[in-house]
Amino acid sequence: MTDSPRAKDGRAPDVFRAGGWIPMRCHRDQDEVDFVIVGTGAGGGTLACKLAEAGFSVVALDAGHFWRPLEDFASDELHQQKLYWRSERITGGDDPVTLGSNNSGRSVGGSTVHFTMVSLRISPDRLKSRSRLGYALDWPIEPEEMWRYYAEVEDALKISGPVHYPWGPPRGRYPYRPHEVNAAGLVLARGCEKMGVAWAATPLATVSAPRGRAHPCVYRGFCAIGCSTNAKQSALVTWIPRAIAAGAEIRDLAMVGRIEIGRDGMATGVLYHREGEWRRQRARNVVVAGYAIETPRLLLNSACPMFPNGLANSSGIVGKYFMPQSNHAVWGTMEEEIRWYKGPPCMAICEHWNYTHAGKDFPGGYCFLSQGPLPMEWSHSVAGSRGLWGMELRQEMAKYNHYAGLKIVGEVLPQEKNRVELADEEDELGLRIPRVIFGYGEEDKKLYGHAIRFMRDCLDAAGGKDIWPEEDTAHLLGGCRMGTEPANSVTNADGRSWDIANLWICDGSLFPTSAGVNPSLTIQALACRIGDRIAAMASRGELSHPARAFA
Amino acid sequence: MSGEFQSRFPGYNVLDKWDSPSWNEQTRRVIKDRLENVPERRFFSEQEWTTLHAICARLIPQPDRADAPVPIVPFIDKKLHNNEGDGYRFETMPPMREAWQRGIAAVDAECRVRHGTAFAELPDNLKDATLRAIQHGDVRSETWRDLPAKKFFEIMLRQIVSIYYAHPAAWTEIGFGGPASPRGYVRLGFDRRDPWEASEAHD
Amino acid sequence: MLQREHNPASPSRFTEEVSRQYATEGIARAAPLTLPPQPPLPEAKAARKIGAAVLIGAVTALAGLALWRALGRTATQQPAEAHQRAAQRLNASAAILSFSVFADSAMEHYRGAFQNPAMYVAPLTSGALLASSAHAAFRPERLGFAGKSLCAFALAIGTAGFGFHLYNLTKREGGIDWLNLFYGAPIGAPFALALAGLTGLAASRLVGQTGATPVFFGEPAGRAIAAASAAALIGTAGEASLMHFRGAFHDPFMFAPVTIPVVSAAGLAATLFRPRMIATARRLLQATVALGLAGVGFHLYGISRNMGGFGNLSQNLLNGPPLPAPPSFTGVALAGLAGLELLDA
Repeated sequence: MTDSPRAKDGRAPDVFRAGGWIPMRCHRDQDEVDFVIVGTGAGGGTLACKLAEAGFSVVALDAGHFWRPLEDFASDELHQQKLYWRSERITGGDDPVTLGSNNSGRSVGGSTVHFTMVSLRISPDRLKSRSRLGYALDWPIEPEEMWRYYAEVEDALKISGPVHYPWGPPRGRYPYRPHEVNAAGLVLARGCEKMGVAWAATPLATVSAPRGRAHPCVYRGFCAIGCSTNAKQSALVTWIPRAIAAGAEIRDLAMVGRIEIGRDGMATGVLYHREGEWRRQRARNVVVAGYAIETPRLLLNSACPMFPNGLANSSGIVGKYFMPQSNHAVWGTMEEEIRWYKGPPCMAICEHWNYTHAGKDFPGGYCFLSQGPLPMEWSHSVAGSRGLWGMELRQEMAKYNHYAGLKIVGEVLPQEKNRVELADEEDELGLRIPRVIFGYGEEDKKLYGHAIRFMRDCLDAAGGKDIWPEEDTAHLLGGCRMGTEPANSVTNADGRSWDIANLWICDGSLFPTSAGVNPSLTIQALACRIGDRIAAMASRGELSHPARAFA
Repeated sequence: MSGEFQSRFPGYNVLDKWDSPSWNEQTRRVIKDRLENVPERRFFSEQEWTTLHAICARLIPQPDRADAPVPIVPFIDKKLHNNEGDGYRFETMPPMREAWQRGIAAVDAECRVRHGTAFAELPDNLKDATLRAIQHGDVRSETWRDLPAKKFFEIMLRQIVSIYYAHPAAWTEIGFGGPASPRGYVRLGFDRRDPWEASEAHD
Repeated sequence: MLQREHNPASPSRFTEEVSRQYATEGIARAAPLTLPPQPPLPEAKAARKIGAAVLIGAVTALAGLALWRALGRTATQQPAEAHQRAAQRLNASAAILSFSVFADSAMEHYRGAFQNPAMYVAPLTSGALLASSAHAAFRPERLGFAGKSLCAFALAIGTAGFGFHLYNLTKREGGIDWLNLFYGAPIGAPFALALAGLTGLAASRLVGQTGATPVFFGEPAGRAIAAASAAALIGTAGEASLMHFRGAFHDPFMFAPVTIPVVSAAGLAATLFRPRMIATARRLLQATVALGLAGVGFHLYGISRNMGGFGNLSQNLLNGPPLPAPPSFTGVALAGLAGLELLDA
């Protein structure tokens, strides 16, 4: 692993060729670019592409490395921890969230570099959960519009999905066909058929046929630690090369410490640390896309005399209404050999409980997916959650090839007390580190209780034996939610902060509700929409005016 | 918790695929380093090193590899020496290095309270009983007062199994396919196996 | 949130360092961008791809032409000779079809680990038929009772195979749905074996016929063979459509086997009503013969695009596009040409 940046001096790594380079337009720090974007994952990477293609000058900064997957990614869980955000964060509350590997990324491309590629749409009703289903709050965007942007992202990532998706309103055909479902997924299929609910091959952002210089999936199963095949359509191999081709500059190993505010109360650029020194990038607009912990952390760390409580925080809710998703699982052994290490980890899905309301004692929704943990991750479940050790652990681990499991992505309702705040400790750059406080609410507990019961029955019906449950969380959302009222949200529907007209947010922290589906597709759809909205506003000359005027 | 380990995959060894299309250059580099460059003790004191070895021998017993067990403690030492965290720390826990030093000392202290001797000196059954008590937070030593025993045990166990199950010997023993790039897998269904996967013994 | 935490009066190490570095305030407007000269992006790959495809196509078309020449010259007016040549063509068709089935079923049933002993039957039968009909392609008169029986057996096995494959589909999770059509036992594949047997039988009926053209299913042989070949072309194109749909038609050339054979089939069918279409149909069928051979080239290219390319054959031969599949177009088109031979006689 190299610790000096790769993307500089007019070139950036070619992600499709070992040792390869592509030309990249580079800006000087003192140039005032149209947009500086903090973070290059599902939110920032996508937006960098959209804005650059719309003709804006863009510099996107990322704290992580700019990898070439073909040569940099080993088939090894320990080594690939280099993809995670491993700086210190404090986690607390009644149900502390385990951070690190399963919900963070520190690479150009962000956590899409190691996500499980599950690409789902939030149902129209869940986007309007207050007015249509009577709980939580509505998204400030019409579902029809979100669904148009979902289609744009699905095409940009060539999602491989089923020919007919069994749930929700009709959607266009996925650009690529579904993958063959592995045995772990067929266990879910078998269980669902016995339980009388529908199942489907999961729509996945890994190609089932060649695409340009990306090879099709080889079912090696190391997806969650980085795809060395380039089949995975991460931001690193999709939006980022597109952004660079359109003139955006990506700066790797560039940690942003502060957003600067001018005397007029507008953002003037960012201070970032690269190659051992603090530097300043000037910009007419600043976009924060650091995900649900780093985004509020940066806004709070950028407090200044004019904004003593942190930027964009006149409502006082920056960092609040933070939501992980519940990620509870059931595990059991099968008569057959399953060998769940083969293929993407989540090849089959049931979204029944996102679209059905009868038979539930809670308002939210969840989906559940088949599983395929690699040995180290699996040992965390068997030792950590089940508490086995000694020879008992080794013998249980030896059943690896016969295990199958189901895991939910469950909606956690927004609560003000769940939050990201600053701790008193500082990191190695002198930036205050974040503290994450989380505890489930009553409705959340009912949801995962229901899920565990249903999945236990499902796995049992599929032939699972010795079934046991596990608690976990995944994905981090909210913290800078968008809305229609400056009093109870941080930005408007365009991700534009209410307080500072040229400060934008574009990532999962915008989510007003978490919904019961993996969030990456939604983050990218939001980013596409924000990109289009910014281009439209610019063409009308509205970029330099306060957001409130356009609420 | 003793007993012999029975392999379900006789004759299988992931390392046999070293030169096959299942392994690429970067993986060979990483695994070669893991196998050949076992780190020296740099962080732990000799006492901590000894106690942790004794703990590992109970949490992951390897009687079947008495002469060459999978090394675990050296890699924990390396992680602590480099202060490489996992990206989070529970609010109730001290910083990582401090937690390990105090935790290991507390395990020894707990054994002294209960049995009047350090952990490494105890017979296996008492070692296991003490570890189980710590796992369940049933502790008597004062040293645990501001170090939650259950949480420490959980973190320690997670770290130890992480290192063990990142070793090719562990991949082999559970029948895992091991590294797989450029070649992945072809046969994905129930009871289906590619020729380069472990064959399970059926009795 | 605690006010203390945001108190700017207690500057962190960070803010101190920053204020040292950036003691001066003031916002400079951007100087016009000066960009380093931009080398062209590597977009030549599309052109290279098309070039490679054209080359593959040309080479295989030449090979097809040579095969065509080797298997007989253009039609003459002598019925006996026409029968002989048609029989040769039909045997060549049977040989190519059985080769395709042999290689394909051997690979695919190997992928299926020959779980059911019945899975050996297809490669064994098609292998035997390949040997027999390849021999008969040069010496059609030598096909004896054993050869004819083998053809009949292949016909029966191919039909039974369809049943097996259908049963396999229904017992998979999801039943007959797209996923299983894509990844379950291929429904259409066993028909190629049945077709090979049928073609061989037809050839045996033509051999030594000096007088009137024999009648198949109430139609003169030429018409019957043309009609059957047209139907088989449609079926084969149907299977290619399914598989290329699975591949999301990611390459425009993937439309070739779902269009050219269909047009050929239409041309062939048209000759049944308009004999002057024969010349056109012949050209179309020749194109289909070449297409089947070019397809192997395209599929080789497809394999090279998979991870590891030819260095990862143990995976890519099975997961990449199937090499033996395209020649079945060549086989069926040859049968169609045999039909034209008789119609033209």
